Amino acid sequence: MNGQITRNPKLAWREVDGEMVIISPEDSQVHELNETASLVWKHSEGKTLDELAEKISAEYEVARETARADLEELLAALGEKQLMFVSPEAKG
Amino acid sequence: MPGTPVMDGLIRRTVQRHLPWSVHVDLTYRCNERCIHCYLDHEDHGEMKTPEIKNVFQQLAESGTLFLTLSGGEIFLRADLFELLECARSLHFDISLKTNALLIDGERARKLRDLSVRKIQISIYSSEAEVHDAITKVRGSLERTLSAIRFLQAEGLKVKIACPLMKQNLLAYRNVQALATELGVPYVLDMTITPKMDGDMGLLQLRSSPKELLPILQDATLNPRACSTDSSAAQILPTGSATSSGMESQAYDDIPCSAGHNSCYISPYGDVFPCVQMPVATGNLRKQSFEDIWFRSAEMNRVRAVRESQLPVCSKCTIRQYCERCPGLAQMEGGDLSGAYERACELAELNARIGGVTNPVSAMHAQKPNTSGACSIPLPNAATEARIGSS
Repeated sequence: MNGQITRNPKLAWREVDGEMVIISPEDSQVHELNETASLVWKHSEGKTLDELAEKISAEYEVARETARADLEELLAALGEKQLMFVSPEAKG
Repeated sequence: MPGTPVMDGLIRRTVQRHLPWSVHVDLTYRCNERCIHCYLDHEDHGEMKTPEIKNVFQQLAESGTLFLTLSGGEIFLRADLFELLECARSLHFDISLKTNALLIDGERARKLRDLSVRKIQISIYSSEAEVHDAITKVRGSLERTLSAIRFLQAEGLKVKIACPLMKQNLLAYRNVQALATELGVPYVLDMTITPKMDGDMGLLQLRSSPKELLPILQDATLNPRACSTDSSAAQILPTGSATSSGMESQAYDDIPCSAGHNSCYISPYGDVFPCVQMPVATGNLRKQSFEDIWFRSAEMNRVRAVRESQLPVCSKCTIRQYCERCPGLAQMEGGDLSGAYERACELAELNARIGGVTNPVSAMHAQKPNTSGACSIPLPNAATEARIGSS
């Protein structure tokens, strides 16, 4: 799997003290992302999983495979909340 | 959202950092209604043009604004409204609108949905057309507004009814409650009638007296004080200010409200104020940057310095917990941002009596006795009303 990552375009968001605050207009739910998830939010738009894993690996000095596995887990959680999606057509 | 632990935490952080988290922008003062209680004039004295407003939005986004409320006047009289909304969307604001909805049809409702507008507040004064239309001075306005609400709901948009209450529609609150229930939308009853922005106090004649407000304040479906002495229960009141920032929270601690701390107001001419109800001019966006005004205006910092515990009169008031003092109204009606003012004291005394306090007297009235007689209004059926409302 190496799909392209996109944010849900309906969401409103702003960074507060390095952490993303996101609001969904559909249910008015407020989401606060932690530092790592905020980094993913900021740098993921239009990138593939591999590209993002590379960046996280360099930023946090972790093995690329570990970064990718953690990223997949995080994106699954964000996808469940309808915050971010990995485009299915680009899955490899 | 305000009142939830996450939002309270965010409100504390944005106040500490002076982040302009919530900004209300009036795009125009022009209007297609002529509401008898409106505090604006309806002329165009040189509204900001499309590029100017887009520039303001860009500055707000860079300054950290998340909640953007667009209001007026009637925003749909701006030919560039959807262009501005597209700009706001591209900057990832949470967008709320305030409108009379007269110009919303099915197509415009669909466009608002596509632009992910989160909330649309619409004023309704009564479910009876003759009462509503007499206030707006536009025949058929209730019917058109209700039709627009249905268009918006058909698109899945969230509508909130705001009902400013005055002598002309005071008891209409019951039919507005019923209408909101029928439509399945939240509502806010606003007992605040403010002076005109130019300082003209004539509109205050439309205010209901404390005695006239008694049925509302004693209605346990609206005012938990009518059946409980726990003043913290007031947080669930569907009464409040239809013009507020929407950021009311216990998280403000010792500051009076969000104005100037994490919210502000921008007029169609680019003037920046701490709040739409606080006529303290802090700067103009045609001459200065937003950050310059927000962080460096002496007036903004003066508003920011006010602390509840240091209010010269109100901090000593024994019924402070029953008071909904607004610093902007204190400035407009009493001439002092930090001062007490008659209306707030009258209502606080009434609320305190409903809450079970014997002979409550506000600190201002202790210094200068009240002559309106609000303290002496009999409350013969308080207990009965509370039982009816809470059953």
